[in-house]
Amino acid sequence: MIKKNILIIFLFFILLISPFLFGIVNLSTKGEVEPKKISLILKTQSGDYWRNVRMGAEVAAKEFNVKVDITSSSEETDIDGQIVLVKAAIERKIDALILAPNHYNKLVDASEKAIINKIPVLVIDSKLNTNKISSYITTDNVKAGEVAGKKLISLCNVNSRIAIINYVEGASNNKEREKGLLSITSKYPQMNVVYMDYVASDSKSASVLTKKLVLGDDKVNTIIALNYISSIGVAEAIDEMGLAGKVNVITFDNTPEEIEFLEKGVIQATVTQSPFGMGYLAVKYAVLNLQNKKIPSYVDTGVVVIDRANMYKPENQKILFPFTQ
Amino acid sequence: MNIKIKRFLKNPYNVAVNTFKVRGIQFIITISFTLITVLAMLFVGIIIYSKYSISLEENATLSTKQLVNQVNSNIEYYLKSTKEVSNLLDKKIYLNQHISNSKLKDQMNVIQNIRGDIASLAVFSDKGELIIESSTSVLKDKVNIIDQDWFKTALNKSDNLKFSLPHVQNLFNGKHDWVVSLSRVIYFYKGNERIRGVLLVDMNYSTIGQLCQNLSIGKRGYIYIVDSDNNIIYHPEQQLINIGLKSENREDYLGSYLENSDEGKRLVTIKTVNYTNWKVVAVAYMSEILDFKKTSTNFIGWILFVCIILIIFIFGFISAKISHPIKQLERSMKRVEAGDFNIYIDVKGEDEVERLSTAFNLMISKVRYLMGQIVIEQEAKRKSELNALQAQINPHFLYNTLDSIVWMAENKKNDGVITMVTALAKLFRISISRGQNIITVREEMEHVKNYLIIQKIRYKNKFEFELIMQKEVQEYKTLKLILQPLIENSIYHGIEYMVDEGFIKISASITNGKLLYEICDNGLGIDPEKLKHLLEYKEKENTGSGVGVKNVHERIQLSYGTEFGLEIQSKIEEGTTIKIWLPLIKD
Repeated sequence: MIKKNILIIFLFFILLISPFLFGIVNLSTKGEVEPKKISLILKTQSGDYWRNVRMGAEVAAKEFNVKVDITSSSEETDIDGQIVLVKAAIERKIDALILAPNHYNKLVDASEKAIINKIPVLVIDSKLNTNKISSYITTDNVKAGEVAGKKLISLCNVNSRIAIINYVEGASNNKEREKGLLSITSKYPQMNVVYMDYVASDSKSASVLTKKLVLGDDKVNTIIALNYISSIGVAEAIDEMGLAGKVNVITFDNTPEEIEFLEKGVIQATVTQSPFGMGYLAVKYAVLNLQNKKIPSYVDTGVVVIDRANMYKPENQKILFPFTQ
Repeated sequence: MNIKIKRFLKNPYNVAVNTFKVRGIQFIITISFTLITVLAMLFVGIIIYSKYSISLEENATLSTKQLVNQVNSNIEYYLKSTKEVSNLLDKKIYLNQHISNSKLKDQMNVIQNIRGDIASLAVFSDKGELIIESSTSVLKDKVNIIDQDWFKTALNKSDNLKFSLPHVQNLFNGKHDWVVSLSRVIYFYKGNERIRGVLLVDMNYSTIGQLCQNLSIGKRGYIYIVDSDNNIIYHPEQQLINIGLKSENREDYLGSYLENSDEGKRLVTIKTVNYTNWKVVAVAYMSEILDFKKTSTNFIGWILFVCIILIIFIFGFISAKISHPIKQLERSMKRVEAGDFNIYIDVKGEDEVERLSTAFNLMISKVRYLMGQIVIEQEAKRKSELNALQAQINPHFLYNTLDSIVWMAENKKNDGVITMVTALAKLFRISISRGQNIITVREEMEHVKNYLIIQKIRYKNKFEFELIMQKEVQEYKTLKLILQPLIENSIYHGIEYMVDEGFIKISASITNGKLLYEICDNGLGIDPEKLKHLLEYKEKENTGSGVGVKNVHERIQLSYGTEFGLEIQSKIEEGTTIKIWLPLIKD
């Protein structure tokens, strides 16, 4: 009787543990893990610059097998909208956040809230006033300003009347470009900076301003625009007025419109950044950070000045024209 | 604890053996079976696994090679067809003396419309003037054709057809496509002048990209194309390469080789595309190929683990089943060893064990029987010995009695002689009593009386005696001659050396359902030390005063069991009382 009981208990025990054991086997052989979710919050979706950031991020997402969802505020001045987006991303329990902050100070709280929630934050394009972020991936904007300044100097002469058109007050990148630019121009006291101010975030207002500056009392004959949207506005105005080549224009970025104007000779030189690289590296480092690998806290994606003469050099082609199939 | 550890260090094997009862059948069966099964499983598993993984790697290499071959032939076919376009136009132009006719332009237009991958078709003179082109695109104002690479290569190189590196075509307004140019020198007539010119066919990347991307090599593997100088013609991540975030380093080697990269081992397969200086390079990640290997390794490992656990349980169970009856048998044997023969094992186990236990039971019962036999035989032997002993009348007694009779006869004491001889005769009659061992209590008392009569005369009335017998007792049976040796002892050791007159009282009664004889004397008593050992049985101690007492005791116990026998109480200088317990037996 006792023996029988032992047998039954034994069989029962085996029955009991076998699903457990095979469960372990199944678990151990289950290969796929859910891809990590990374939220990329841009300043805006419009424009070629951000499209390239997006493309870079998407290439990296595919390469590293992560899910990157890309959102943005409606325009670059929409600080509150961006804060809402950051908070929503925290709610969604994302694994990492990549942010192109619209404002140097006002997005700090929301970002630090993400960090408190154990979501690493990587900042691209513009600086954020905190040292808690995992990495800052950007164009070295001071250097970009300096490079632009040197180009400006090389194009100018004593009679030059210079206008500096900046864009969206509050975002750090524009300020830094201005700083870099001024650090060069200030070495040349003979340079006449007759105008320096911010314009609204559309090319139209830049265009209007340009006409005023060139045709008005300021008699500006050299314009430097620190952002691609205002760059386009400036170039369009110069082109409309038929002053191509007569007014020096230095711009930022390499949108197709700017390239056209560069080829036409409306724009003398443009300072290119690497938005594609920025998007790609941001996602790449976010992934590496999630894998607990060491990532640099600051990455400079580089700037190159391209003018009409060297735009078709093989190395510049590669920077200027995004590869399309 | 320390000692244990030291012992363990000295001789780990023995300690392990002792600790785990390694010599137990159960342990040996479990361990050896498990070991053998596991080894067999491991052996088979490893062989299958190694064969399998080798073939897996071979297959992966082979399929990558096949893939490269396929891509290679596709690209070859594609480039050939593009060359054919160029050849066709070359021929047309060669045959058409007047090049700038609308028919040719139409044909070029048709070709471009059919072949979506051709970005532009154009003919330039060696001075860089546009002669004819396919589309309606407008040539850029200040474009410098002569300095463009494809133009220079076509004019400089003797071998006619030449694919350029990827570049942005800088010809037409509003077009900035990345293309690969195929340029060649052609000759045509303008008026009557034979002019050297360049025919340009620009391919965009739509077809090349498709050809390379449609075939996947694992999840992360990819295919790219380089030229003979290792410049990248096409790469699925060309943008990253262009902006310097990625680079490809490869050995100048045709075929397959393994390389180590940041992302692990990669299998690189390189093949040249015929009729060009292009090479197709396929990169496959070994980790992906081996991923399946890894999961199957894991799987096999876990299966093995589960199996081993199950096997240990099953063999443990089986060996317990086998060894349990054996252990039971062992326990029973231990009890037998300890002297317990009243054992019957009811083992129901495997056939052999059952037979073994049956045999064991049989053996034990035989042993038990034989031991019983021995006891009985021994008892019988002893009884007969004692009987023989008791039958002997002490010769001294006889001589002394006869001496006394003679002495009395000489002194004409006829009454005394008559009394003595009568008593002696009665004594012998009862003593012999036809060889029977059992007599009645009456006869026994009679025997004692006669003995005492003789002794009293012999000892010259040194003592008195009294015999008391209950009437009911008379006809009960008793062993014969049990009182006489005790009385003899009383006289020899208790009364003979007394100064006063001795007194012996002998009674027979029924007490507590038993027959009780009591012999009381007032003699010297027995030394307590001696008294203690008086009734203990000792081999080879047939001399001395205790022999008679002991014999009586043993005879009673041998005949009736240990609850009967002698009980002696004695006090020095006061006397001794001996109680003799016997069963009540009638007939």
